[in-house]
Amino acid sequence: MNAPIGHYQYDAVDRDFLASRIEEFADQVGRRLSGALTEDEFKPFRLMNGLYLQLHAYMLRIAIPYGTLDSRQMRMLAEIARVHDRDYGHFTTRQNIQFNWIKLEETPEILRKLASVDMHAIQTSGNCIRNVTSDQFAGAAADELLDPRIHAEILRQWSTLHPEFTFLPRKFKIAISGSPQDRVAARFHDIGLVTRPGADGKPLFRIFVGGGLGRTPFVGKEIFDSVPEEDLLMTLEAIIRVYNAHGRRDNIYKARIKVLVEALGIEAYRAAVLAELAQMDRAHYRLTPEMVGAIRARFASPVLDAPADAAARLEADRRRDAAFDRWVHANTHPHRAPGFIAVTVSLKPTGGSPGDATSAQMDRLADLADSHSFGELRITHMQNIVLAHVRQDRLFALWSELREIGLGTPNVSRIGDIIACPGLDYCALANARSIPIARKLSARFGDVALQEEIGVLRVNISGCINACGHHHAGHIGLLGVDKRGEEFFQITLGGRSDEKAAIGEILGPALREDETVDAIARIVDRYLSLRDMGESFLDTLSRLGDAPFKEAAYEAA
Amino acid sequence: MLHPARLGAGQKLALTANRLLDGVIVWRDAAGAWWSAFDRAALLDADEAEAALAGVDAQKDGVVGVYKVAVTPGAPPVPATMRERIRAFGPTV
Ligand code: SF4
Repeated sequence: MNAPIGHYQYDAVDRDFLASRIEEFADQVGRRLSGALTEDEFKPFRLMNGLYLQLHAYMLRIAIPYGTLDSRQMRMLAEIARVHDRDYGHFTTRQNIQFNWIKLEETPEILRKLASVDMHAIQTSGNCIRNVTSDQFAGAAADELLDPRIHAEILRQWSTLHPEFTFLPRKFKIAISGSPQDRVAARFHDIGLVTRPGADGKPLFRIFVGGGLGRTPFVGKEIFDSVPEEDLLMTLEAIIRVYNAHGRRDNIYKARIKVLVEALGIEAYRAAVLAELAQMDRAHYRLTPEMVGAIRARFASPVLDAPADAAARLEADRRRDAAFDRWVHANTHPHRAPGFIAVTVSLKPTGGSPGDATSAQMDRLADLADSHSFGELRITHMQNIVLAHVRQDRLFALWSELREIGLGTPNVSRIGDIIACPGLDYCALANARSIPIARKLSARFGDVALQEEIGVLRVNISGCINACGHHHAGHIGLLGVDKRGEEFFQITLGGRSDEKAAIGEILGPALREDETVDAIARIVDRYLSLRDMGESFLDTLSRLGDAPFKEAAYEAA
Repeated sequence: MLHPARLGAGQKLALTANRLLDGVIVWRDAAGAWWSAFDRAALLDADEAEAALAGVDAQKDGVVGVYKVAVTPGAPPVPATMRERIRAFGPTV
């Protein structure tokens, strides 16, 4: 097979490794079922293979490195949904997919199926370096300075089963972007990398450390501004070594790197990393141009040829059809190549469960990737799907087909494009349900013309303080809390995860679910009545502060 | 225990777990058998529940993560918390 577009092509070494890993796990499952392993003994093994025991069943989280899939992989996910689950899968804020109704005894078979398309569930759990995430428009966006996927793959290979970093104090998340427009929430990761070409054209890396959400949210701090490519791995090793040595293992709530960075201060942390670097063998860790070239060779590039009148034909289609025009306005991003455009397929139908896709939708998306985007798909951390290289003159045809499968909703980055964690309906750790309130909000703002009028407005919902729905980073954030067995929601305003990353501030006392939906509707109404021409919700909030919104939210309470 | 069950007035306790093979939620009846239907669960007083819990052999029964759940009596009885109602009757979405 030719190298796939957009992700690394496995070789025999990769495949042999996966095969032996699966047989090892199959043996562990067999011993668990026979009683030779107790649950306490087995639990770390299953977690290392992405298998959680959740509220209703086992949940399998499958890694999608830097969010990129090819169509045959998507079809395999569809098959797993159909044969081994309840005919759907849930795409997550970590660009992965979760299946919520998996049987333990079928897990080895599922992992074999995944391996047949070069996929696995490693690095989706445990206190290791987790699956690396990246920009959903990598290699496509007009605003990109450097394609981050080659280095994302290098980081994947470096971090996979890294012997020194398999038992860190806590899980460790890395994101990498090659655009000044931060679409990966680099400043909310344990390590966030933003790459750009230096004066000589060679990649440089700006590194943020100690960002994160959860119980104690922090915006990451810049530790280095311009790390050269050849020192990238050495620098990351040193940063994580300092964390591994000094991160707290006595208290799970204080174990993330963000707490250590905050406790030491960024200057002291940087000094500790520099001291570590000074005693490392630079030659040993050097990432050579040859190594980078070898990884690059495993990626195929799409041939981006479009007819000269592609853009003009798209303009004509937009003029002809207002609904199409609205969708193009919300769901596309400028492409670097003339005549092409990057498309975000919203997995947030009005009143639906954010991030869910049925097996039939996955199969059709795979077909559409083949016919419109070189067989390649990306999962976004906003829980949508990107077809990155679509010809502009074929966009209308793609949109028409998406509408047929219920995936033509024009709401990307709008209030209907809600990010929500699984919440109490599925998650064993939850305080409150996230999906029902997401569905109610989505239905309340179902009018796409109203959503367009409101403009960019991100709503993020988490069912507990672990913040998997990134509520701190939502323009409007909702956090589920339990008050004497009842579900309440705390509202935060002003969070954002882009290059101006900020943590949302709590507006006031938590509200009941129905009150919360009404309160948000009033907050939005207040924004529409107060905004100046061209002002986004965040602009108005920063101009006026939260007082008018607080007044609106608690008006009837 | 992960989920301590606090008993309110008139409430009873049931024993629950996940089935080892497929993770399905199960409830223990008066004879010690496990069922996926909540309405088969034995409703026990605190002492009875403690004794029943001590008597469970999870591996032999093919279950994992056994614990007690508070149940509000009624027609029919239902688990006292939203979390346990969702476990008993499935996701609400
Ligand atoms: S935020 Fe809490 S409820 Fe939501 S998925 Fe994460 S742990 Fe579960």
